[in-house]
Amino acid sequence: MINDEFTFENDKNFEETIKIDSSDFKFVQEHAKISDQKFQTKPTTFFKDAIRRFAKNKSSVVAAIILGILILMSLIIPAAVPYDINNAHPSEIKLAPKLFDAGTGFLDGTKSYSNIVYDSVNDKPSGDFKVQAVSKMTHTNEGENFTDSVNTYAYGGYIRLWSSKAEGDVSDEYSELASYYYAYDFSRANYKLDIDVGALPSDSFTSQGEYAVYFKYLEDGNYVYAPLTSYMDKGDQKISININEKLLAAGVTKQTFVTSEKASLTIRLKASSSISPSVLIDQFVISSDRGAEKEELASISCTDANASLSIVKFSGDSENKYYWTITNGQMNLYHANILYCSFVYDTYEAAYGIFSNRLGKSDVLSYVNKGWMEIDFDTYLNSNRTESDLAAFIASFKILNDEKCPIRSIDSISVKSVPGIDPVVDVICGCSQYRLLGYSSMPRFIMGTNDQGKDFFKVVFTGLRTSLLLGVITSAVCFLFGLLWGSIAGYFGGWTDILMERFTDVLSGMPWIVVMTLIIILMGSNFLSFAIALCLTGWIGTSSITRTQFYRFKRREYILAARTLGASDSRLIFRHILPNAVGTIITSSVLMIPSVIFEEATISYLGLGLKSGLSLGIVLSENQQYITTLPYLIVFPSVIMALIMISFNLFGNGLRDAFNPSLKGQD
Amino acid sequence: MTKYTIERIILAFVTTCIILTITFFLLKILPFQQPAATTEEGVIAYYTTQVKLGYVLDFSTIQETLGTYLYKYTDTAKETHYFYIRPVGDQYIAWIEGIFTEWNWGVSSTIKPNYSAMGIIFGKLPYTIKVNIWSVIISVPTGIILGIWAALKKNKLTDHIISTLVMVFISIPSFITITFLLLIFGYNGKLLPTQWPSDSASLSTRVLGYIIPVMSLSFGSICGYCRFTRAELTEVMSSDYLLLARTKGLTKTQTVIRHALRNAMVPILPSILSEFIGILGGSMILESLYGIPGIGALYITALSSKDYNVLLVDMAFFTVISLVAGVFLDLSYGFIDPRIRMGGKK
Repeated sequence: MINDEFTFENDKNFEETIKIDSSDFKFVQEHAKISDQKFQTKPTTFFKDAIRRFAKNKSSVVAAIILGILILMSLIIPAAVPYDINNAHPSEIKLAPKLFDAGTGFLDGTKSYSNIVYDSVNDKPSGDFKVQAVSKMTHTNEGENFTDSVNTYAYGGYIRLWSSKAEGDVSDEYSELASYYYAYDFSRANYKLDIDVGALPSDSFTSQGEYAVYFKYLEDGNYVYAPLTSYMDKGDQKISININEKLLAAGVTKQTFVTSEKASLTIRLKASSSISPSVLIDQFVISSDRGAEKEELASISCTDANASLSIVKFSGDSENKYYWTITNGQMNLYHANILYCSFVYDTYEAAYGIFSNRLGKSDVLSYVNKGWMEIDFDTYLNSNRTESDLAAFIASFKILNDEKCPIRSIDSISVKSVPGIDPVVDVICGCSQYRLLGYSSMPRFIMGTNDQGKDFFKVVFTGLRTSLLLGVITSAVCFLFGLLWGSIAGYFGGWTDILMERFTDVLSGMPWIVVMTLIIILMGSNFLSFAIALCLTGWIGTSSITRTQFYRFKRREYILAARTLGASDSRLIFRHILPNAVGTIITSSVLMIPSVIFEEATISYLGLGLKSGLSLGIVLSENQQYITTLPYLIVFPSVIMALIMISFNLFGNGLRDAFNPSLKGQD
Repeated sequence: MTKYTIERIILAFVTTCIILTITFFLLKILPFQQPAATTEEGVIAYYTTQVKLGYVLDFSTIQETLGTYLYKYTDTAKETHYFYIRPVGDQYIAWIEGIFTEWNWGVSSTIKPNYSAMGIIFGKLPYTIKVNIWSVIISVPTGIILGIWAALKKNKLTDHIISTLVMVFISIPSFITITFLLLIFGYNGKLLPTQWPSDSASLSTRVLGYIIPVMSLSFGSICGYCRFTRAELTEVMSSDYLLLARTKGLTKTQTVIRHALRNAMVPILPSILSEFIGILGGSMILESLYGIPGIGALYITALSSKDYNVLLVDMAFFTVISLVAGVFLDLSYGFIDPRIRMGGKK
């Protein structure tokens, strides 16, 4: 019998006895089923955990969102934007970016111009600017800007004559500078010459030369110089010469004047100690008392230096037409007035506004047939075509479809009768250019148009789509193949590795240009051949990273432990090494997509890549030449490119951190 | 280790031979390129050299079996020469012979007709090295220091600024960087030359001419080293032995210098060494954009003008550089960290 009685002293110092019987005991889990308890916390998998860690990384999430938006845009925009980018549109080239109405100042399709030469006669900027698209024009005032080169829109100024003769040049004491050719018949009238000479400015690097005016004529085959003035050296003076009188005084007979057809008025500059003496001619006016010659003489007189110098002597001109010719020295314009203007130019108004067009009758009739407008040709063509008939013709014009009808007003009609066939009828009308081009409202190109008139926004995103597609396809193929190749080489090592490595060495040593050239020769320059060429060598990167990772992990103690426990090669590869290595491999492979885009852009930039089709690289290389003139054409794709690359890189880094177990639990 | 080293070197040599053989055959099956000599004498001299090198055959009559002739001329002795392309296999043997007996790699056809291709390459090499060596000297220390700084200040403002800049600069293609550098400092600022100055330019111009190429080469390199160093160092910094080093009482500086940096440098040092070999390679984009007469620009010129002989030698040069750099990289891993045994069995 076992002892089943216990005696002990309780806390009140009384002795107590407890009797224990075996029936007092019972097994706790005698009939209960024992099983694992459910986890109190939520269970998680490796990928869930990775995603949770990825979501903690704010910049990666932002990058992923941006990336998602860009990818979505590259899918949606080429399909959603209606503008055609397959053909060139010559009338719509180089339009500025426009998102808002003109006049809002930002992205409104306007360009600001400054320092454009101002055409004061027509009150518009000089050059090919359409007046109705110009707004907010301000121009400088007279006396603010001067030019020393001849310009159609400049006026005034001086003709500056420079002598190139030095003082020591005694063979010719003076230098014949300018001859002003005109055939003078001095027997007919009295001629007068008025010369206005300006003073040289104080900061001039030359000095005022001594000059004289001569009459030069041909006598017995030799030129004879008859002085009209003596040498003068004072600047800023007006001289009035009676030519006939002076010539008589110089002993030239009247008879000579008549015969001297190749005569001219000549200015001579005396050689002096200064290096190049010069004189400024403000006005050089010839006049006569014979009424019939008044206009002709006025037209040949130099009252405006810029205008005089604009006249170019053509070789076919007979010599007795007037022009300035220089014999010894130089002549140029000095200090002519020129006005510059600054203005805002609405490129959309210039391309799509209402301008006068000449349309054939059949074109106009096609609009009538479409029910867009109404016009009565027959009445006019059968009439006498008087003014009132024309007015009736114009009045018969009516717009029926305001949205589509390109003709906004009729200005006139021209009928050319050609024998044998129907008369050629042209209508001169005010045409709304955008309706003429088939748009129902004035287009808005958010990023403007390129040098071929294509919507640049759509061009860039279509290019991005091609680049992304190329990147994703190439990377996917390369990743899978590289992973397989690299894990085999890295895991088995030894001769397997050396042989496989030699193969990749050979392949990666093969210049891709040769690979690409050959593939392009074989398959043509298209998307597929480019992808194949990139794939042929692209997997090597993933393979070598996988191989390195395998080398890194396969000698770790836990692998040894697993091998000791009898794990097979495939279990070691896929369950033990790969999960550890996958972070780095995935990072490098996510980064493969931007690197393919990068590579493609570089190749295209060098002119060796995709020829047909459109990619971001081609867009960039095509617009490189406009970097100074139309910077948005290079800035926008560059920004998109940079955005794509930055988001891919951040996204890849986030993935790396999330998948790398050694960084587990760390931020 | 010695055995592995010898193995690697021999294998690199064999690889080079295989690559060059493949490249030779691939380039030789492309259509024969007529020389761009301006005079007839030049063209004849080119073909005579080709015959001497064993790429072309010279016959006095038309050979029906060999297809169409490449060129024909009548010499002073009134004898007509017909030049025919040799079969590629024979050309290959002649090429190997030429290289091993007289180091003759063929002559240029369009860049400098009848001029030794190897001579052209070596004439261009100094320019490439000059630009690249400066870029390495500047970018390696800058990149590593920035990387260390960013890693030590991880997740602080400094790190964010450096990382963002690195990300931005590494993401922008080099030709955009170069174009913007040219635009800002060259065309608009007028501070630096917009083209590589010629050798006859003044010293100051030549020195200024280095700035844009070295800058554009360094940006990518600095960013690469910075990112690499930062990544390696942060990984090391989070390892247990560093925690141990701290718990046993070392200061943070001591742990960083004695433990973290040394371990982080393991993968970085080999890449620096191979970068020094890589300076021979140059950058095609930069050289052709900035007009540096280096071998990168030569490559593009040879390709666009279809001067396949020069292209072949240029390719051979690039191949040798990359393979030598690869061997160096692999071997130096083992030297720097004895735990790593490349090529070891599993």
